[in-house]
Amino acid sequence: MFDSKKYIFTLILTVAIFATAFFTSTFLSNKRVESVKSIQDNIAIDILSSETQFSLLGEVPCSNVSDSILSPQLSEIGDKLSKTETDRGATDADVIYLKKYYSLLQIKDYILSKKLVEKCGSTKKQVFIIYFYSNKGDCTDCEKEGFVLTRLKEMYPDLRVYSFDYNLPLSAIDSMKTIYRVKSSLPALVIEDKTYTGFKSLEDLDRLLPRSIKVQTTVNKVKAASTTSAQ
Amino acid sequence: MIVEHILQGFMYPFLFLSMYFQLLLLTSFFENKKKIKDEEGREVSIFPSVTVAVPCWNEEKTLGSTLDSLLALDYPKDKLKIYVVDNNSSDRTYAIGEVYAYNNPGIVEVYRESKQGKHNAVNLALSLTRTDLFGCLDADSFVMPQTLKTIVSYFDADEKVMAVTPCLHIRNPRTFVQRMQAVEYLMGVFLRKAFGELDAIQVTPGPFSIFRREVFEKIGKYRKAHNTEDFEITLRMHKAQLKIVNSHKALVYTIGPATGRGFVYQRLRWARGFLENALDYKDLFFKKKYGNFGMFTLPMAFMFVFYGLYASVFAVYTLSSNLFDIAKRWLTVGIHPHIPTFDLFYFNTTVMSFIVMVMLTMLVLVFYIGNQLSDDKQDFYRNFPMFFFLYPLFIPIFLGRAVFDTFTKRKNNWVLQDTKSLSTT
Repeated sequence: MFDSKKYIFTLILTVAIFATAFFTSTFLSNKRVESVKSIQDNIAIDILSSETQFSLLGEVPCSNVSDSILSPQLSEIGDKLSKTETDRGATDADVIYLKKYYSLLQIKDYILSKKLVEKCGSTKKQVFIIYFYSNKGDCTDCEKEGFVLTRLKEMYPDLRVYSFDYNLPLSAIDSMKTIYRVKSSLPALVIEDKTYTGFKSLEDLDRLLPRSIKVQTTVNKVKAASTTSAQ
Repeated sequence: MIVEHILQGFMYPFLFLSMYFQLLLLTSFFENKKKIKDEEGREVSIFPSVTVAVPCWNEEKTLGSTLDSLLALDYPKDKLKIYVVDNNSSDRTYAIGEVYAYNNPGIVEVYRESKQGKHNAVNLALSLTRTDLFGCLDADSFVMPQTLKTIVSYFDADEKVMAVTPCLHIRNPRTFVQRMQAVEYLMGVFLRKAFGELDAIQVTPGPFSIFRREVFEKIGKYRKAHNTEDFEITLRMHKAQLKIVNSHKALVYTIGPATGRGFVYQRLRWARGFLENALDYKDLFFKKKYGNFGMFTLPMAFMFVFYGLYASVFAVYTLSSNLFDIAKRWLTVGIHPHIPTFDLFYFNTTVMSFIVMVMLTMLVLVFYIGNQLSDDKQDFYRNFPMFFFLYPLFIPIFLGRAVFDTFTKRKNNWVLQDTKSLSTT
C-alpha cells in the first residue's frame, strides 16, 4: 500500500537534516572567518607595537631589541587563510577582505623588518622572499612554487616569505608590483631586491639565498642541540 | 577546480535521495518493530507439503553438503520433497544425486534437464510436483535446521503471503573479497526486512525463497530473464500484486565468490540483469497500484545504478586528485614526512561532510540492526574494513560495464566467466 503520509514525513525529516547541516556548516565557517579576523587583529596590534618599539630604537641599542619584534603568527595565518579560501571559494567577500587585510599586514611586516635590518644589520640579519602568485588557473607552476617555498621555510625557519595574490585588487599590492617590476609572468619571486620570474626549484632557490641565512640556521641548530644536551 | 565544483554540485541531489531512501527504510522498520518481534516466536499449526529444487551444473564439490543441510531440516519428512536437477554436468554431480536418492527414498529424487539454463532446471522440478509450496536452493547454498519451519510460519500466519525470502549470509568467509561480502550481506538482512515492511521486496533470491504453488499457476514458470530469473519473477509477482515478505530468522548460507574477478563477474550479471529486466517492466514505474514498489523503491533502485556509478566516479576522482597532489608535492620537493598537528580549524566543516557523516551514522545503524535481526552474529568488526575500503573500488567497474553493455546492447561474453551463471545461460 502506498502511504503518502510516510513519504511526506520522511521528506520533512530529510529536509530538516539537510537544513541543520547547512546552518551548522555556515555557522562554523563564519566562526572560522572570525577566528582568522581575530588573529589578524592580534597581528595588527603586534605590528603596531613593533612600530612603536622601532620608533624608540633611536634611543635603544640594537642588542636590546626583542627577537619577537616580528610577528611569528603571520605564516600560520597564511595557512589558515588558504584553508578558508579553499572552503568558501576565492570569490567569497569575506575571503577577499581577509586576504586584503593579510596582504597589508605582510607589507607592514616587511617594511618594518627591512627597517630593522637597515638599523641593526649586523645583529639582526633577515632574508626576505616576496612571492607573487595567481590562483585563477593562469599559473600552472604556482602550486609547485608554493610547495618549494613551504619546504624552504622548513629548511630555514628564519627566512621570511611574503605571498601576494597577483590578482587581488589592492593598491598596496599594485605598488609592490611596480616597485619590483613584476609583470603578469608568474610565479614571480623577489629575493634580495632582485626579481625572478618562472618556476624556481628548491635547488635554484637554495642557490639564490644569501649565505648568511644558511649560517644562521646552522648556528641556531647547534645552539638548540647544545641546549638539549645540557638539559 | 571547476570540474570538482560541477561534480560536487551533482552529488547533492544524490545525497538527498540516498538519505531520503535510508530514512524511509529506517522509519518503516521502526514503525513495525513490534510486529517484527512478534514474528519471531510464531509456531506452525499446519505443515504444508514442500518441494525444494536443487538445480546444479558441475557442483560435485558442494552438492553433498547442500543436500545434507536439506535432509537435516526440522520438518516432517513426509511433507518434504527434494528434486536434484542436473543441468548437463560433466562431473560427478548426477552420480552424487543418485546416491542421495538411493539413501533417501521418497524424499530425494534426481533428474536430468538437457536444456541448458537454471530456469529450465527449476521449471522441470516445478512441472513434476504438486506440493503446496515450492522453492529452490542453489547447490552452493545451505540451510539451517529451523529455516523451512520459520519460513512456513509466515505462510501459516497470513494466507495472502505468496512468497517468503530468507536471511542470507556468506558461508565461512575466508578471503578479503568474501569478508567484504559478509558485511554487505549483513546490510542486506536489514534491507530485505525493511523492503518487506514496505511490500517492496526487490528480489526473491535463488537460495531458498519459497513460493506458494499458486504463484506459478497465476503468473507462469521461471524465464531466462537476462540470466537473473529470480529478479524477473519478483517483478512479475509485483505486477500481479502478489505479496512477498521476508523472514529474518530463516538463515541460509551461500558461498560468495572468493576472488575480485569472480565477484565482478557475478555483480556484472546481477546489475545487467537488473537493468534489462527493469526496462522490460518499465510499466511498473510510478504506478500507484503497484504500491511502494512501483512508486518508489523500483524507480529509486534503477536511478541509483546511475547515481551509484556517478558517486563512485566522484569518489575515485576526489581520491585520485588528492593522491595526484601528494605525488606532485613529492616530485617537486621530495618526501619529508611530518608529524601531523591537531588543530580544530582544519576540520572539514562543509555541508557535504556533515551530510556524509549523518549518512555514515545511519549506515552503522543499518549494520547494527542487521546484526541484531539475524541469529548469526558475524565477525563484523574484523570484516568491516574490507567492506569499507574494497567495496567502493568494485562499484564503478561492474556498474559502469553493466550500464555500457545494456545501452550498447552488447552480448554477455563475460557471463561465461561467472561460474554461477553457467547454470543459468
